[in-house]
Amino acid sequence: MTTARANRLQLAVVMAVLVLLHFYIRPRLWSPRVSPDFLLIALMLYAMRSGPGAGALAGFLVGLTEDALTPAQFGAGALAHTVVGYLAAWGRAVFFADNLLVNAAFVAVGLWLRDFILLISSGTDERQLLVELTLYSPLQALTTALFTLLVLLAFRQWFAIRLDA
Amino acid sequence: MTSASERSYTRRDTVMFLVCLGLSVVGLFSPANWGLGVADALRETVLAPLVWLQARAEEGRTSRVRLRTVTAERDSAAYVAQGIPSLLAENEHLRQLLALSHRLSTPYVAAEVLHQAQATDSRTLLLSAGSIQGIAPFDPVVAPEGLIGVVLSVARRTSVVMTWAHPEFRVSAFTVTGNASGVVAPSASAITSVDGALEFRGVPYRDSVPPGTLVLSSGLGGVYPKGIPVGTVTGVMREQEGWERVYRLRAAANPGAAAHVLILVTPPNADLARAFPSDSEVLAMRRDSIAKVRRADSLAWAAELARVARADSVAAVRKDTATRKPARPPVRPDSARVSAPKPPAPTTRPDSVRPAAPKPATESKPAAPTTRTDTARPKPAKPPSAAPNPLTGRSAPADTTR
Repeated sequence: MTTARANRLQLAVVMAVLVLLHFYIRPRLWSPRVSPDFLLIALMLYAMRSGPGAGALAGFLVGLTEDALTPAQFGAGALAHTVVGYLAAWGRAVFFADNLLVNAAFVAVGLWLRDFILLISSGTDERQLLVELTLYSPLQALTTALFTLLVLLAFRQWFAIRLDA
Repeated sequence: MTSASERSYTRRDTVMFLVCLGLSVVGLFSPANWGLGVADALRETVLAPLVWLQARAEEGRTSRVRLRTVTAERDSAAYVAQGIPSLLAENEHLRQLLALSHRLSTPYVAAEVLHQAQATDSRTLLLSAGSIQGIAPFDPVVAPEGLIGVVLSVARRTSVVMTWAHPEFRVSAFTVTGNASGVVAPSASAITSVDGALEFRGVPYRDSVPPGTLVLSSGLGGVYPKGIPVGTVTGVMREQEGWERVYRLRAAANPGAAAHVLILVTPPNADLARAFPSDSEVLAMRRDSIAKVRRADSLAWAAELARVARADSVAAVRKDTATRKPARPPVRPDSARVSAPKPPAPTTRPDSVRPAAPKPATESKPAAPTTRTDTARPKPAKPPSAAPNPLTGRSAPADTTR
């Protein structure tokens, strides 16, 4: 088995684990609004290890999934995740995010940006937008970043993250 | 200088990004029915295993975490239910008196709420029950605390609920005191998810609703049954002078925290006509009602006449008594007699052998013991009060108080 194929397989396993965590473990955690978004973690980790086009496509698929499960404004989730996936791939190239904490912070920023685009495109009024972006989104970004750290630590050999930061 | 392969790689990425972006924008601006249809199709095909997985997770969480709460609620409900038969009988009796039809019983389906991680999760909820369980669009959804929303779209095993936090949500409502009615809608200036998130609009200016008043669904419109708690008034949000007041409501149920809801389903082949009597029944009930009202009025009139007559009689007696009172001897002979101690075994009344009886003829009737002998006593001298009444011009009647 070649190294590239092994890496793809490892990445697929991590993605599958994150999807299972999202749909089976996350409902058992705290409030749904502040519990970690494992799908976004999967998207960010995939986008940071692939090209911008693949990241955008992955974001579109994740957003379509979210829209199908929460059709408050169909298409808003797809739009937000597409942009976040594309920017995550570009950001990886710009920031060389091989550091563990930078990766976690990257995910947190991606979640906040996702919420911002989602709320704007779904027509949220100003006060609720303010509360969401200043209270709930940062909390969810924090929990998501913490679980990103755990995932990266658990699969550090596969993701080849330097832990000396 | 970039190579040709790098340029094609970048161009391909850009094209893919633009295509995905364009599809997202198309979905965003497409009609709502299209989006809901695509979402239903995705949930029923590709995402079905994931939805099933989340439904099992929600069931596991609610079955463990909420066991104690559910047990306590069941115990309290069982205690309250002990009085339900008498309340039902009383309600039925009152409805009969008011010539109302029987109250409709609404069947329901229990479902788990599959919360998502998106910021718009509280506007629409995904439920783990669909058309297989008999759910249809516009079925109301309630939590134990109150109204959650209405079913927006239905797939086979899942359904989407538009909660009261959705900008398009409306429900006709009235206060529990019955003095005000209006329309409840989500507030555009909501600060938190529950407190003050609803507005009670269209309340006439003259109808004042104090804080703490419970607001219920009125049943108008045919979507929500009557009597579902919607929220509690917390204050006046704004008012148009002389026209209407808009009250701030604290929602009864929080969609973001709801884990288990009830969907009030419309039974298949339901005939709502049974809730509304036919024209002939209405006519008969109206006649019956009119007859009942007339009968009640006649009884009330007769009772009033009797009461007036009794009052007149008592007044006349009191008037006569008051007129005679100054001339009456302080102690009536027979009352003094009654107060005297009786002999051990009286065979005849003592006054029957009174020597002072001026009419001995009555004494010659000892064989008639049933006749009170004192009734034959000689009349005492007529008191001055026996003079003709100055008001009526007639003599005072005999004392009937004895």
